[in-house]
This record gives sequence, structure tokens and C-alpha cells, in this order.
Amino acid sequence: MRFVDEFRDAQLGRAVGGEILSTLEPGRHYKVMEVCGGHTHSIYKYGIDDLLPENVELVHGPGCPVCVIPMGRVDDGIAVALNDGVIFTCFGDMLRVPGSEQTLLDAKAQGADVRMVYSPLDALRIARTNPEREVVFFAIGFETTAPSTALTLKRAKAEGVRNFSCVCNHVTIVPPLRALLESPDLRLDGFIGPGHVCTVVGARPFEFIPADYQRPVVISGFEPLDILQSIHMILRQLKEGRREVENQYTRVVPREGNLRALQVLAEVFELRPHFEWRGLGFISQSALKLSDAYRDFDAEERFAVPGVRVADPKACQCGEVLKGVIKPWECKVFGTACTPEHAIGTCMVSPEGACAAYYNYGRYARDKEAV
Amino acid sequence: MTVPTCDTRSGCITCVDEGIPMRVVEARRDIAVCIDDHGARHEVAIELVDMVSAGTRLLVHAGVAIASLEAPTQEMADGSGER
Repeated sequence: MRFVDEFRDAQLGRAVGGEILSTLEPGRHYKVMEVCGGHTHSIYKYGIDDLLPENVELVHGPGCPVCVIPMGRVDDGIAVALNDGVIFTCFGDMLRVPGSEQTLLDAKAQGADVRMVYSPLDALRIARTNPEREVVFFAIGFETTAPSTALTLKRAKAEGVRNFSCVCNHVTIVPPLRALLESPDLRLDGFIGPGHVCTVVGARPFEFIPADYQRPVVISGFEPLDILQSIHMILRQLKEGRREVENQYTRVVPREGNLRALQVLAEVFELRPHFEWRGLGFISQSALKLSDAYRDFDAEERFAVPGVRVADPKACQCGEVLKGVIKPWECKVFGTACTPEHAIGTCMVSPEGACAAYYNYGRYARDKEAV
Repeated sequence: MTVPTCDTRSGCITCVDEGIPMRVVEARRDIAVCIDDHGARHEVAIELVDMVSAGTRLLVHAGVAIASLEAPTQEMADGSGER
């Protein structure tokens, strides 16, 4: 397949691995954070971690929107779903995320009409064909996904679809990164930037990282060679004393992003003053809500929601995992009380959560060759 | 509480920031019929990208094209450039 096979060439991968080795300063330990859950998934799926020397450590960032949804927001969604006559729609990954007492899948088992959709446009289609029912879309995701919700709401408004609304949980990636960089217990040498978020927002929003925190950022694609090359580019910046935002994923990401998508986002959404991130706490201006022009489509205005903050289970260390302070296997309940079948924390529910990636692909061998 | 393993094939879209390359077969005003690399056909919203026509390759996320991957060529338009 074009754009795929050429980025999975094992021989080239080993060659880039050799380049990485030659870029390292002997005796120095490097910590590089992959921001996006998609990168975490690729790293463990393709064994990229195994190609790296021991002193290059990958730290898994907060870029899985399922993992960062707090339980209180899941409870809000379930409360809406349990209303008579509501068709509640969401992406498949949301169905299994635990709220304080149950999941959306449990609510469905109790009779709630919960349906998985592939796109918010599918939810709008359900609303058109069920005019006597209220159809609610539970929107999650970073800037990659928010344009699809915005486009759907624009269409709903233009067509006058009155029985459609949205519980908006869209989040933005820059504020949590800034919060992480301000965290005193974190030491990172560089960032693998989220390729598809940057397709929408461009490279500019990440320029504060080299400017304010003197760390390199390389915007990366999701194939194995993309990630290896990005790691090499980060290490080369460090070796040469440069700190800048570089774009490895030039075949997809324009420096300015997608201006049309940004315009649609600005029309449909506005920033929430603050939003709770699981494990990271409340972060200012880190999430989106519907703008005044689209308030009629806000399910939180249309339905009663508990809006109660629910503390994470005490045994769960998702917060430390999301901040990269501990590895998944260092969590007290990893692989024992918390498994994909019986998840306590969201990092284990979503397959792109760092814990599930470790668990599913068995990538927790800790002995590697030192340089 | 029992939580089944999430199946990426059935719907994990957001957490992998999925971007699927697709080729446009037919472009209408807001919608294009596209085909992915496995031969499956999809209806894709194209309001957010410029100059979409048969043969254009798009990056698609949650049913919406978020980027054009390259300008179409004659080979791509008639399908002979794709594997």
C-alpha cells in the first residue's frame, strides 16, 4: 500500500536505529515523550521500543482522550443516556469507560438506547431518521476530532435538525503539555509531536516548548519509520544544541494547519474556563464547549446532568502514568487487579492507553543493551 | 465490574487519532465517495479541504477529510497508480 509499506521497512528501521545509536552522548540518559496515544500504540505494536538502546526512554503522554475523561463526565453521559426517548451515540472506545458505578455499555444492558457511531455525522443521520426521538452525541477527542463535531453541528443548524444535541468533552493538547512541563517531578528531553492534531492546528502552537522550556519537538507520523526518524531528529537537535519544532510528517502536516477546520472550530466552540483531566486535575482553558451561537445544541443545557466530580479509585495510578512519572508496570495494580478485562483505570480500558498497550503487547521487558 | 477489551477494528477513532488515507472516486458538493486501501467505500465530508476531485487522496478522520495528501494525477484518477 502506498504511504504504508515504505514506512514499515525493517531494514531501513535497523539503519535508523544505527543512526540513533551514533547520535547519543555516552553516559547520558534521554527521556522522550510521545504525546499522542496513536504513537504509543504504534511503538508497542511494532516493537519500536526494542530497537532503542537502554538510555533512550520513551515516556507516554496524555494524548489519549479516552484515558483523560474523568469519571464524573462519564456519569453525566450515562445520566443523559438513561432519559426516556433518548438515543445516545458515541464512539466505540467510550462505551467501556467506567463511570463511578457503571459504563455506557452497562446502561445499554439496562435498556438505554446507546449506539456506537463511527462519525458524529452518523449520529446526525440517526437524528434525521428519528425525528420523534432526542439524539445525543457524546463528543470526545482532541483537535483532530473536534472539526468533525463542529461540521456536524453546522449541518444540524443549517438543516434545522432540532432533536440533535451534543455533550461536548473535546479537549486541547497544548494546555496539558504546558501543565506537564511545569510539573516539578518531570524530566523530559524532547517531545514527539501529535501528527494528526497538527494536521488541524499546524506546528505553531507547539513553538512555546522550545521557546519557553528549551525542549525540541518533532511532529511525527504514525508508521514505525516515522517514529524512529522523529526520535533521531530529537536526539540530533539535542546533540547540535538546537531547540525547535521540526516537522517529520511533511507528507501530511502543513505548517499552518488546516485553516478551514480552524475557522469552523472558532465558529462552533469556545474555550471552557477550566476542565478536569483524569490524573492531571483541573487545567485552565484546556477544553471546548459550544459557543453561544450553538448553545441550543448543548445537551448539558437540554438535559439534567449530575455534574459531580468523582475522585479516581485510590489504587489507580493513571495520573502518574499519564505524567510519565511511572511506567505502567510500576502501578500497584497493573496486571493484577487492573487488566483489560477488569479495568480500574482508563489507561487500561482504551487499547491506546499506555497500560493496555504494555499489557496487550507484552512490552515490559526491562533489560536492554546499554550503550 | 467487567470491562471487555476495546476492539480497535470496531471503533477506536479518537484515541489513536486515526487518519485513514482514501482515494476519491466521486466528489459532490459536500460529500465524496472514497475508497480506502483495503477497497472499502466510504462517504466522506469534504468541506474542510480544497479542490477535491476524482483521484485526490485524502486523510480521513471520523468521516471527515482533514487534509489532502497530494494533487491528483491521471494515473491516480483512473486508479492505475494505486496498489
